[in-house]
Amino acid sequence: MIRNYFKIAWRNLINNKGYSAINIGGLALGMAVVILIGLWIHDEITFDQNHKNYEDIAQVLVHKTANGKKRTRYTMPYPLGNELRAKYNEDFEHVVMSSFHSDNILSVGDKNISKRGGFMEPDALKMLSLNMVYGNWDGLKNPNSIVISQATAKVLFGGKNPIGELMTISNKLDVQVTGVYKNMPFNTTFNKLEFIAPWDLYVSSYTWVKESRDNNMWDNSSYQLYVQIANGSNMSSVSSKIKNVVYDHLPEYGKKSHPELFLFPMKDWHLRSNWKDGVNTGGFIQYVWLFGIIGLFVLLLACINFMNLSTAQSEKRAKEVGIRKSIGSSKRQLINQFLSESFLSVVFALILALILVVLVLPAFNQLADKQIRFPYNNLYFCLLSSGIVIATSLIAGSYPALYLSSFRPVNVLKGTFKTGNSASYFRKTLVVVQFTVSIILVVGTIVVEKQIDHSKNRPMGYEKNGLVMLEKVTEDYKGKYNVLRNDLKNSKAVIEMSESSSPLTDIWSSGGGFKWAGKSPDFIPNIGMIFIGHDYGKTIGWELTKGRDFSRAFPTDSTAFIFNEAAIKYMGIENPIGKIVRWNSQDHKIIGVVKDMLAESPFKPVKQAVYMIQYENTSWINLKLNPKKSTSASLALIETVLKKHAPNVPFEYQFVDQSFAKKFVAEERIRTLASIFALFAIFISCLGLFGLASFMAEQRSKEIGIRKVVGASIFNLWKLLSKDFVKLVMLACIIAIPIAYYGMRNWLNNYEYQTNISWWVFAISGIGALIITLLTVSFQAIKAAITNPIKSLKAE
Amino acid sequence: MIKITDLEKYYKTEELQTIALNKLSFEVKKGEFVAIMGPSGCGKSTLLNILGMLDDSDGGSFIFNGEEVIHYNERKRANIRKHNIGFVFQSFNLIDQLTVFENVELPLIYIGVKKAERKKKVYEVLEKMQIMHRRKHFPQQLSGGQQQRVAVARAVVNNPKLILADEPTGNLDSSNGNEVMDLLTELNKQGTTIIMVTHSEHDAKFSHRIIRMLDGQKVIENSLI
Ligand SMILES: Nc1ncnc2c1ncn2[C@@H]1O[C@H](COP(=O)(O)OP(=O)(O)OP(=O)(O)O)[C@@H](O)[C@H]1O
Ligand SMILES: [Mg+2]
Repeated sequence: MIRNYFKIAWRNLINNKGYSAINIGGLALGMAVVILIGLWIHDEITFDQNHKNYEDIAQVLVHKTANGKKRTRYTMPYPLGNELRAKYNEDFEHVVMSSFHSDNILSVGDKNISKRGGFMEPDALKMLSLNMVYGNWDGLKNPNSIVISQATAKVLFGGKNPIGELMTISNKLDVQVTGVYKNMPFNTTFNKLEFIAPWDLYVSSYTWVKESRDNNMWDNSSYQLYVQIANGSNMSSVSSKIKNVVYDHLPEYGKKSHPELFLFPMKDWHLRSNWKDGVNTGGFIQYVWLFGIIGLFVLLLACINFMNLSTAQSEKRAKEVGIRKSIGSSKRQLINQFLSESFLSVVFALILALILVVLVLPAFNQLADKQIRFPYNNLYFCLLSSGIVIATSLIAGSYPALYLSSFRPVNVLKGTFKTGNSASYFRKTLVVVQFTVSIILVVGTIVVEKQIDHSKNRPMGYEKNGLVMLEKVTEDYKGKYNVLRNDLKNSKAVIEMSESSSPLTDIWSSGGGFKWAGKSPDFIPNIGMIFIGHDYGKTIGWELTKGRDFSRAFPTDSTAFIFNEAAIKYMGIENPIGKIVRWNSQDHKIIGVVKDMLAESPFKPVKQAVYMIQYENTSWINLKLNPKKSTSASLALIETVLKKHAPNVPFEYQFVDQSFAKKFVAEERIRTLASIFALFAIFISCLGLFGLASFMAEQRSKEIGIRKVVGASIFNLWKLLSKDFVKLVMLACIIAIPIAYYGMRNWLNNYEYQTNISWWVFAISGIGALIITLLTVSFQAIKAAITNPIKSLKAE
Repeated sequence: MIKITDLEKYYKTEELQTIALNKLSFEVKKGEFVAIMGPSGCGKSTLLNILGMLDDSDGGSFIFNGEEVIHYNERKRANIRKHNIGFVFQSFNLIDQLTVFENVELPLIYIGVKKAERKKKVYEVLEKMQIMHRRKHFPQQLSGGQQQRVAVARAVVNNPKLILADEPTGNLDSSNGNEVMDLLTELNKQGTTIIMVTHSEHDAKFSHRIIRMLDGQKVIENSLI
C-alpha cells in the first residue's frame, strides 16, 4: 500500500513539473533558512559551553548606586580575592583574580608580536579546563612563567615544543614558557585570550598594583575576579552570601555608593550582559529570539505556499478523488495518499535545503562573523532534520489532505462540483499572512538601517578623517613626547601630534569627588576624565564654544580644566569660564568649554567629560596626517620615525574613522541578517504568489476567453486578474504596519540616541510590496490575457 | 458586408498538417441570414472564428465593411469586434461568477458605456428576451434555453451589425431551440446580419441561404428565398 502511495505521489510530482518545482523549491528555501538560523542559534546558546565547569563558573560583578541609579561594574578591588578565599572557602572551588585582558607585545629574540592576554591567578587553567598541548594546569605557579595558546606558540616558536623557552612581555617582563593550550573555540568569551601570565608577576611588576596590595585598598577597583563555586553549592545562594563583602570593608565615604556584589554566571555572559538599575535586562538573547521567530516565520511562509498550491490544485484532483472514492477508497486512504505526496515533496525539499546550506555556510559565516561547521555527524542534527520533515509535511500536507479527501464524489463526477468559497478564503488568508510577515520584515530592516545611518551621521565634534592613533603598549615612548613630535612633524608625514589617556573612540576612566560652587550636597558626580597633552585640541580639531584651548604660554594651565558642553549642563554651572572646580584636593580653573565629542557608544548621548593636561598618564598617541601626502607614504614615514625611538615596538595603528565604524558592527550584522531573511521571505512569498496567480489564471481561462470575445482588452483583463491580489496585499499592509511599528519602537528603545520611524518607511514597504505583487501577478495575467480565447472556449 | 476570397487555414501538429479551410470564397450581404452546414470537422467553427476575428487565417482576403482586415493586428481586430460583432456559442459561454444582468452588461463596459445608459440597454434587451425576471440569477440557476437567451442578449446588447452563431441550438431541446431561432429571425428582421453554423436542416430553414462545406471548401449554395 505504502509503495503504491509513493508511486502515485512520484507520478504526480513528475506530471506537474512547474508546480512541483515552485512547491519544492520554495519549501527548500524556507528550510535552508530555518536550518541556517538553527545552526546560528545553536552556536549562540552553546557559547562558552566548552568549559567543563561551565555551570559553576561566574564572574563577580558589583552594582553601585550613584544619584539614585544603580550601575553595574566589572571592576573589583585587590583584597577581594583573598577575602573570598579566606572567609568563604567552602563555597568556592576556585577564586581567580585577573587583570583586564589587553593587547601586549610578546617578544622572542627579535621577533615581536602583539597578542591579547592577561595576568591571572594559577587556578585559571584548571577552572577554565584548558586543553593543554604541552605542560599542565600547574603552569602558572612559578611567577616568571607564561602559558600561551597554540596559535601564539606557532607564530613565536614554529612547530617545536616551546616549554622552557624564554620570552618577554611588553619589552619588560622576562618569562619562561610553561604551557601551551589549544585555542578556545570561536564561540567562547576567552577565544581571543592568547596568553596567560601569573598574577604574581603582575603585582610585582606594576607599582600601582603593588600599592593596592600593600595598602589593602578596598576602594580601588581595577581588577576582574572569576570564581568557580564549590561542587554542590548553589550559585544564587553563594551570590547573596557575598553581597556585602566589599561594602563592609569600605571606609565611610566609600559606603555611599553602596556596592552590592553578585555572581554573574558564565551561562549568561554572552547572551544576557545588559544591566539597567541593577536588573539584568537580557542582551543578545533578544536577537536569538528574534531570529528564531523569523526562522519559524520563513518556514511558515514556505508551508503556506505548499498548502496554497496544493489546495489550488484541488480542482484538478477533484475528479481523481471522486473516482477513487467511487471505487471504494476510504477517506483514511485518501488522506494517506495526499500526506505521502507532501511527505515526498518535503523530503526532496530537505535534500535540496541541506545542499543549499552546505553551499552558503561559508558566506553565512562571514556575514554573521561565526565559525559554524556543518554538523555532518551530529545525531541531534539528524533527529532535528527528521523532525522538521515530519512537522513540515504534517503542517503543510494536512490541510490539503483533509480538504481534498472530503470532496463528495457525486458532485465531482456529475461535473457540478465547484471548489467552495471556504477554500478560496483559506488561500486568501494565507496570502495575507505571507505578505504581512514579509512587510514586517522589510519595515524592520529599513528601521535598523535607518538607525545605523542616523547614528553614523551624528556630529562627531571633531574631525575624524586623517586621524591615526597608536596605543603605547610598552614604556618605550616614555619621556620622548617632544622629540617624537618634532621628528614626526619634520618628516612632514603629520601636521600635529598629541597624546591622551583614552583612545578617541572611548573614555577609559571616570572620576568622582568634583566640587564646585552651587553643587547640591547629595549630587555625586561621575565625570569622564581624559588626560591630554597641550596639542590635543589642535590634533583632533575640537571646537571651543567658550573660553580658550590649553596653551603652553600659561603655566597655570597645568591645573586648568576644559569641560565638554554635556559636563557643564550636567553640573549646572552658568558662565563656566573662570569658575573653580575642586578635585583631588586641588583647585582647577575652567578655561574652556568644547563641543561634545562622540567617544563611546554612538547610540547614547555624549558623556560628560573633563580634559586636563597630564603627560604621565597618557597611553595613546594621536596623529593628524598631512593631507598633502598620500596615506601610505605618511604611514611609512611615521613607522621609520617611531622605529628610531622604540625599535622593539611593532608598528600598529588604527584609523580613528575605522575604529569608529567598528562600533556599528553588531547592528550592521543584524541589519545584514535581517535584510537577507526579509529577502528570503519576500522571495518565498512571491514564489507562492506566482504559483497561485498561474493557477488562478488557468482556472479562470474560460472566463478570460469569454470576456475577450465580448470585447475586453488586455488591460481590462490584467486589471481584473491583478485586482484581487492587490487587495490582499493592501490588507496585509494594514495588518503589518501597526505590528511593525510596535515592534520597531520596542527595538529602538534599546538605544538612547534613536532615529524616528517616519511614515515613508511604511509607504516604501507597502508600495514595494504592491509593485512586487503586480510584477509577479502581471506575468501570469498578461500571459492569460494574450492567449487566444478560442483555445480556452473550445475546451468546453 | 463580408467578402472572403481564397481563405486558407492550416493546423500544424507534429505529425500532420490539417487543411481546415481550403481556398474558401463567398460573400454575405448586409441584412442577410446565412446558415453554414457540413459534416463534423469540415472547418465550420474555424471559419466562424476567422470571420469573428478571433483567429488568424493563413492566406486569402477578408473584407469587412469594405475594409481589408486580413493583416490587421490584434488590437485593431479587437476594436472592430467589440463594436460590430456579437457571438452566440453552442455551450452558451456565460461567466459563472456573474449574474445574468452582469453577463449581459459586460460588452457595454468594455466599450465604455456610462452606467445609467448600460442599465437602460441591458433592461431593454432582457425584456426583449423575456428573462428580465431572472436578471439576478447566476447561470447555473437557469435552464439551457434560458442560458442561451442570456447569451443572445449579451451578443446583441451593443447593437452589433453582425451576429456569429456556432450551433446555437446544439445543446437545446427542440422547443427551446425554436425559441432561440425565433429570436435570431426577429433580430435579422430588424437589420442584423447573421451567420449561423448548424447541423440541423430544420434550423437552417430559418435562413435565407445555406452554404454547404466539405473538407474546408464550399461545395454548394442553396438559396431559400
Ligand atoms: N487547434 C487545432 N489544432 C489542430 N487541428 C485543429 C485545431 N482546431 C481544429 N482543427 C482541425 O481542423 C478541422 C476543422 O475543425 P473545426 O473545428 O472547424 O470543425 P467543425 O466543422 O466546426 O466541426 P464540428 O461540426 O464537429 O464542430 C478539423 O479537422 C479539426 O480536427
Ligand atoms: Mg464546430
